Amino acid sequence: MIFNQLKKMALPNAARKLLLGVKSSFSLFQTTANAEYRYLSSVSNPKGLLSLEKEEENKVAGHKNVVPLECRFVYPEFLPDPRLDHRNSLREKLERMDMMNRRNHIDIPEFYVGSVLAVSSSNPHAPEKVTRFVGICIQRGGCGLRAFFIIRNVVDHQGVEMFYEMYSPVIQKIEVLRLEKRLDNELLYLRDALPEYSTFPLDMEPEYLPEGSAIPVNPIKVKLKPRPWLERWERQELKGVQDLGLPKRFYERAAAVAKPWEKYDLMAEYRESIPAEEQEEIFAEVYSQLHQLEVTRKIMKRKRTFVKPKKMG
Amino acid sequence: MALSMWRKLPKLMCVGHGFHTSPAYSHIIKLTRLRVVDNSEIGKRAMAEGKPPKCIHVYNKKGVGTIGDKVLLAIKGEKKKAIIVGVKQNQPALSPKFDSNNVVLVDDNGTPLGTRIHVPIPQVLRTILKEKNVVKGADYTKLIALASRFV
Amino acid sequence: MAGCFKMAGMRWSVVRSFQTFCISPNISESLCCLFQQVRLKHQNYPRLRNPIWFVKKERTKYEEHLTQQNKSFIRDVVHDKYGGPPAIIGGVSTYQQSPLKIQPMDRGSWFLGCRRSGLIARNIGIYPMWLKDGTRVLTTLLQVVDNHVIRYIPPEEFNPPRTSVRNPKSKRRLGCLLVGAESADPQNFTKEYCGLFKDSGVMPTKILGRFLISPEAVMQPGTPLYASHFKVGDYVDVRGKTIYRGFQGVVTRWGFKGGPASHGVTKTHRRPGNIGSGGEKARVWPGQKMPGHMGNRYRILNGLQVLRVNTKYNVIWVKGQGIPGGTNSIVYIYDTFLPLRKPKEAPHFPTYYPEDEEPLPDEIYSENLHPFTAPTIKYEENV
Repeated sequence: MIFNQLKKMALPNAARKLLLGVKSSFSLFQTTANAEYRYLSSVSNPKGLLSLEKEEENKVAGHKNVVPLECRFVYPEFLPDPRLDHRNSLREKLERMDMMNRRNHIDIPEFYVGSVLAVSSSNPHAPEKVTRFVGICIQRGGCGLRAFFIIRNVVDHQGVEMFYEMYSPVIQKIEVLRLEKRLDNELLYLRDALPEYSTFPLDMEPEYLPEGSAIPVNPIKVKLKPRPWLERWERQELKGVQDLGLPKRFYERAAAVAKPWEKYDLMAEYRESIPAEEQEEIFAEVYSQLHQLEVTRKIMKRKRTFVKPKKMG
Repeated sequence: MALSMWRKLPKLMCVGHGFHTSPAYSHIIKLTRLRVVDNSEIGKRAMAEGKPPKCIHVYNKKGVGTIGDKVLLAIKGEKKKAIIVGVKQNQPALSPKFDSNNVVLVDDNGTPLGTRIHVPIPQVLRTILKEKNVVKGADYTKLIALASRFV
Repeated sequence: MAGCFKMAGMRWSVVRSFQTFCISPNISESLCCLFQQVRLKHQNYPRLRNPIWFVKKERTKYEEHLTQQNKSFIRDVVHDKYGGPPAIIGGVSTYQQSPLKIQPMDRGSWFLGCRRSGLIARNIGIYPMWLKDGTRVLTTLLQVVDNHVIRYIPPEEFNPPRTSVRNPKSKRRLGCLLVGAESADPQNFTKEYCGLFKDSGVMPTKILGRFLISPEAVMQPGTPLYASHFKVGDYVDVRGKTIYRGFQGVVTRWGFKGGPASHGVTKTHRRPGNIGSGGEKARVWPGQKMPGHMGNRYRILNGLQVLRVNTKYNVIWVKGQGIPGGTNSIVYIYDTFLPLRKPKEAPHFPTYYPEDEEPLPDEIYSENLHPFTAPTIKYEENV
């Protein structure tokens, strides 16, 4: 490409910088279809795809970025609602302060759609008891204090779902029993899937990942029950679903109403995301505290797991 | 009129063939099919025969039933009262949403016809049924005692 | 102002009197008197008299060809005159204390039915909070943006163009308190507008509002007003301009049902239908709901509870989410007029003076609100 040719030429530092800026916006074009980077609307080359260039950019900028970009996946609720007419910097700041205050009292661990969670909460209908529910996270969303997630399980052959507000003060504990991702961003199709795909024992043991390993992606393909369904799943590009086995006309109709051009709409993407520069600002404000909390949690966990062997009999 | 039309409609018009009443809301209204989740004889037989009961009246002012409401059912040619113990409708935070609309058959005094409930029932029922006790004079809390699991 | 001259010039005597008045030191007062005189003479004089603070605000910006030196000189003059930079820095009001130019006023004491000043705030958004019993409430955040008292017009001098509709001959006379919010560079405004702020010593503000107050609640011009003007647990009324939606049909504007989408219906999906009957009443009745401009008018939401106050950022959390206007719009906050929610005890009167009272904590929470700094809620058995 032209860029590579240009790069070889000796250029003054400022011009290089400018060039890289242009280039990064071009590289965005190449990666729009990649759902992994959906939160980014400008700059910052996605890691892995363009890691070489990133190193170079860091050299040019003269400093290394302290806040890791993965923050936006680990703590997505810290990113505000991207709608411009709803934004206000002071409100967002106060909201983040409140969120951090709540996080000082409760661990909200890293989890994704597809992870198996156990949530303990206090319940006014069962006072002085702890209500615990285990299930797979089928949806996660909301910005700021409105952040929520839905977990689903099949208990006694009965599908049950619970909706939790992440920052609600009645939640006592959120445990991640199995940390993994699925192929889709939402698993609402589990409602129409066979019950074994969303059945998890209520006394499930937590599975630990080795430290520093990447989050595994579970490539399981789910088999759906025959129609009727809650939604027209054939019209959504689902990756984690087995062949739906529908007559041809369903797929034809799905192809007719599909809007494959929407993923190339750069303006729409800009409107629906927070620019990378702003994300850096936001996470720079909270990251040190979040990191501190995570470190203390790890220490606590290690302490807890070590139990002195007792003498038996 | 509506009732007679329902009877005349062939099987084609049943659920799953493009004919919806209010699936988006999952309202429990008149003529909604419900699922009996206790082990009463009549309930078990109705479910086993694939003829789940129909709601023919909701005893509240809205006409849309939610958890803890009493409904009148048409079940195997009889009229029976029942308490809703789980709904499909979207629920507020910390309240369970079920995959089916569950009911437990009761008699006029609030005594359940069965002896066991084989699905989990929501915690909210404890408070709701206790409150209803005072108002109606019937004792619904016996139903709570049958539950095997709460969520 | 030019308009006034023309109208006054109808009679020579009036012009004469105007000239004589001009010699008097307080021009604005004399102008008020002049209008009263003219109005008494001509009964069909136009009803609307603009209040004295309705002057041209924005200045035409033309190229002044100032050198860098001149610009910095002007900046220094502005800085020296008003004692600091403009008031909002990084979203936080700085509340520059201006030297009070007018003699200190006596502070009155509160009584039941007394009307205090309100505040000018910016609606900065909505987010949920939880009560101590675990229920979720949506709260609207109102940021009090650098409010200062600009001027007080006592009841005897204040002659509003519109008097109370309910009770026009009411004996209760209210004074008028001008409050400014969000000070800005005076170079952006006209000379007349800046003149309004001369006596108070406050830097000219972008927003100027008026509050009708009892004479006892008077405050000295230049006094800063803070979010702690309202106590936590008080009830307030919030007035704002609703979102402008332009010309809308009846479905959007009045919530009409519209017509069916199909079944042979043509061109009648969102129409109003019949608007009147024939016979004797063969006309459209006044008040008939029709298409038209929607929004962009002042509406007031009464009786909202103050749940939380942040004294550092001057933010008030009120319970509820239906406050007129969008995010970042300006609202006016008053003590509520609802009789059952009026304060029984004395509020900060006439306002909260930080120098007089003990320093408040950064965050003040209502009794039934769960602060995020508190531990998780646990329910206890009611015995």
